[in-house]
Amino acid sequence: MTQDHIIEMLLAFIAADDDQPDTKARASEDAFNEVALQLFAYQFENNKPFRQFSVQRGRTPRTARSWRDIPAVPINAFKELTLSCCPPEDAARVFMTSGTTLGGVRGKSYHPTLSVYDASMTRGFKQYFMPDRDRIDMGILFPTETIMPNSSLAHYLALALAHFGTSDSGYMMQDDGIAYDRLFATLDQAQMSGTPYAMLGASYSFVPLLDEMKRRGLSFALPEGSRMFDTGGFKGQSRELELDEFYDQLAAGFGVPREKCINMYGMTELSTQFYDRGNAICPSVKSGPHWIRSRVINPLTGEDVPFGETGVLVHCDLAHFNIVSTILTEDAGVETEDGFRLLGRADGAEAKGCSMAVEEFLKAAQA
Amino acid sequence: MDFTDKVVLITGASRGIGAAIAKAFAAEGASVAVNYLQSSDAAETVVAACRQAGGDASAFQADVTDSEAVPVLVNNVLETFGKIDILVNNAFRPYVFDPENRKMFWELDWSHYQTQIDGALLSTHGLCKAVLPDMRRRAQGAIVNIATDLVARPTIPYHDYTTAKAALIGFSRNLAVETGPLGIRVNCVAPGLVYPTEGSRDTKESVKDMISAQTPLGRIATPDDITGPVLFLASPWSGFMTGQTLYVDGGLVMS
Amino acid sequence: MTERAGYLPGLTDDEVDWQILRFGGADAPLEVAVPVLTDTQMQTMAERVRVASRDHLKTLTISQIIDIIDRAVARLLDRKDPYRRKAEEILPIVTGYDAEMTRLGLTGYLKTFRKPELQKFTAEDFANPLILDDFQPMPKGGFARAFGPDILTHIWAGNVPGIPVWSLVSGLLVKAGNIGKVPSAEPLFAGWFAQVLSEVAPEIADCFAVVWWKGGDTAREEALLKESDVVLAYGGNESLSAIRDRVPVTTRYLAYGHKVSFGAISRAALDTQKAADTAHQAAYDVVRYDQQGCYSPHVFFVERNGRISPQDFAQYLAHELETFEKKYPRRALSIGEARDMATWRHGEEIKSFASENRGLIGNADSAWSVAFVDDTEDLSPSGLNRTIKIVAVDALADIVPRIAPYKALLQTVGIAAPPAELYALSTALGIAGVTRISAIGHMTAPEAGWHHDGRFNLLDLVSITEIERSAEAAADTLAPYAD
Repeated sequence: MTQDHIIEMLLAFIAADDDQPDTKARASEDAFNEVALQLFAYQFENNKPFRQFSVQRGRTPRTARSWRDIPAVPINAFKELTLSCCPPEDAARVFMTSGTTLGGVRGKSYHPTLSVYDASMTRGFKQYFMPDRDRIDMGILFPTETIMPNSSLAHYLALALAHFGTSDSGYMMQDDGIAYDRLFATLDQAQMSGTPYAMLGASYSFVPLLDEMKRRGLSFALPEGSRMFDTGGFKGQSRELELDEFYDQLAAGFGVPREKCINMYGMTELSTQFYDRGNAICPSVKSGPHWIRSRVINPLTGEDVPFGETGVLVHCDLAHFNIVSTILTEDAGVETEDGFRLLGRADGAEAKGCSMAVEEFLKAAQA
Repeated sequence: MDFTDKVVLITGASRGIGAAIAKAFAAEGASVAVNYLQSSDAAETVVAACRQAGGDASAFQADVTDSEAVPVLVNNVLETFGKIDILVNNAFRPYVFDPENRKMFWELDWSHYQTQIDGALLSTHGLCKAVLPDMRRRAQGAIVNIATDLVARPTIPYHDYTTAKAALIGFSRNLAVETGPLGIRVNCVAPGLVYPTEGSRDTKESVKDMISAQTPLGRIATPDDITGPVLFLASPWSGFMTGQTLYVDGGLVMS
Repeated sequence: MTERAGYLPGLTDDEVDWQILRFGGADAPLEVAVPVLTDTQMQTMAERVRVASRDHLKTLTISQIIDIIDRAVARLLDRKDPYRRKAEEILPIVTGYDAEMTRLGLTGYLKTFRKPELQKFTAEDFANPLILDDFQPMPKGGFARAFGPDILTHIWAGNVPGIPVWSLVSGLLVKAGNIGKVPSAEPLFAGWFAQVLSEVAPEIADCFAVVWWKGGDTAREEALLKESDVVLAYGGNESLSAIRDRVPVTTRYLAYGHKVSFGAISRAALDTQKAADTAHQAAYDVVRYDQQGCYSPHVFFVERNGRISPQDFAQYLAHELETFEKKYPRRALSIGEARDMATWRHGEEIKSFASENRGLIGNADSAWSVAFVDDTEDLSPSGLNRTIKIVAVDALADIVPRIAPYKALLQTVGIAAPPAELYALSTALGIAGVTRISAIGHMTAPEAGWHHDGRFNLLDLVSITEIERSAEAAADTLAPYAD
């Protein structure tokens, strides 16, 4: 299969199920498997380090019978290996991770074209964030993709704005951070006019915003139909908040009920995103569109844990055609009837005895 | 015995005992590399039967007595299937078991012995050497070599054939001691007369009757009779056995 | 099934609050009730132990104390003794370690505290053990006596069975009033030991106590710390440093932190005959207590140019680990521990793609992992729970720069080398901070009297009071029989 064939196949698969936005009526597992296994063969053929990885795991496309058999690449591998089916220099866009560990080395995702990424994003966004309307007045709390060309989130939000924002939408940023005055004026306007408004940004962008609102003694009651969108967590970027506290503050600050505060779970190492149906209860249940599937595994054996038990999340994203479809995240999770619950980064365990564990060693060695 | 996700390489698997072994592994979910020398049609038939039986298979042509061809064969299998869990050394140089017209000792040259030794032992040696690095890297593997009950009891003295097989058993035992501490097991299956195969196609009824009469289970083995013990020695059910030779001849020989 | 932990002289069960800790799986659940004393109760307990040890323990001779401990240990070595039976039955459930490994480990460990071994402990630290009983003449002149603390507080950590016994025995030998806090990971053995002691020697039954508090309960901890003359703590650097901040400056603080240990194997141990046994011994050191001990190896440095290469050695070691998995299965891991092991393994796996000189042995479903590095690499910790790295070196002396940055973290080195090399390497290792050198296969069984982390088991606990020559001489002049 050539790259063009793969892209064609994926775009068709993503576009399928047009009449059934409900995630339960998704394409059958068989259809998913067929595409997944073809993609596995394509990536095995063209992505040399991935082929090495698969062979090391004793798996070739010949012996894979379902998407569950595709070996899951640990997320750290993106920092050590160049994973790409096309030559890296042919990439139209390179997304990089924020690189907080491993001495600042950043993992890279190479995209020879963004057509599949964009199709995946827009369909998923429509399904989960805009099921009831085509466009909405939108404010983005994040830099543009011109300023951050290697940020997948910047591109994501640019797409949201372009495809789903009205002409009264825009970025609420300025050189030194959030353009508070402009934003607050816009929110006032929305409140007065009764037109629904959507705020989208990184979770950590909302924290200083909420702090500033508190400082100014401001709160808003956005009209019905308004909604909030956050993603990414707080680690290392801002004050850390408990989920309940965060969504309470969002709801109180903007007058948008917690059910309409949607959280997106995505990563640079994938081309498709997960969403929840609001955050009335935390942690919420996340799910994705029909071209991405997840399972919860014991990270050592690679076996699925029994339903309802905690394990580490593996995602098989068919839209991630140029790199690898299946990744092993560092996130703990538990499967539910209609998705999974994220339980946060599975932290390093404390040593049970008096032998030194890796985290402690690193701390001690750096001291 | 479940061989799902296991990869088996069987030499000389286009016909006879080799083909039966291939199909038996496939029926338990294995991916089978069907090695053959010349009969590509027969090999493809075996491959189709394997897939039909619920496993997977591919045919790989190679002359396993050619020491240059063996690493290439093993490499091809690894490229296709990713690993080799089990090696069955079944191939041997063609031999006709004809008690009425066999060569007597003084009619044989060393070259006859050499041919059989190359057939049984040179190929096995080359294949074992070629698959071991991959097995050692995974700290596990099973090798099953096909010998003959004639080693224990030469009811008919096929000198060259049986001498080679006797060496094969010694080779297997030594290899078992060497590779045991590496997690790899080496065992032999020693059939008696097996019918029908290329070698026994022309065996007279009287010969078969004579052997049957001396066999407690009262008949000659079919190729299918040999498969169970091979699968057993390749499976974790024999996980604490190595260096052994299982005699599968209806009890003709008890050793 | 509910077990009670702790040993609380002067308190009945209903006077104390109890908290339940849960162990075992759904098929063999175990509840352990641990005592939570109030500040007042802790204070009263300390006073009781202080007074009792002054009146009844400090008045015994060192020989008498050794006898008592010997009798207690003899009971626990007797497999028919009820407390021994408890230990064999319950410790595997609490710690998860294989039952066979636990019982063999227990016997091996307790043998370290029999009378001849206790005499070795004492002789290691005191040239003249009578110094613990009475003033003894000193080489420099004058007299000295060793006084143990009124209250010696132990804060134990970790789930390796029997850890508390080492310091508890040391505390008894110096006649201290001992109060020990058990770890939540294994809260039972110390209490049983105390119970057995009180049964073999009722006269000292009030001289020690075994308590518990929840990690982070600084109020409870401080209540005890302020009663203590000497505090001895085990744990990770973070918790040890937190305790140190709370120990009064006038109280002596002895901290035993987590350590990294490793092995060094000379080519002399890698011929076609010896290599298999060397691999067997090395694997034993790895599987004991699933590498959770401070003495457990994280890396084996292996010399090149033997008949057996370091890579071959790694493969032999791998199979030995597989065999040990049948004999002493590794305990079940929490998701966090599994993730740590997986992270380490994946890290090694990925590095092996970048380099011909690296490899990873074992499958995803092996209970162990062996990484092999044929390159220069510093000491690094393993993922624990039977994950080990083999690093090839040209000569064992090359190890020293690889461990130099980690001086404070080093403890045991298992060595397989000929005598001349053993001594030469030991010198370099000692300079680098290593405090214990053992044979491969013996890394996890320190000898009686071992200087734990280079310290003195008994000397560190006592205070030496000396009568100088001047006092002696002056007293002589005042004697009624002075000429």
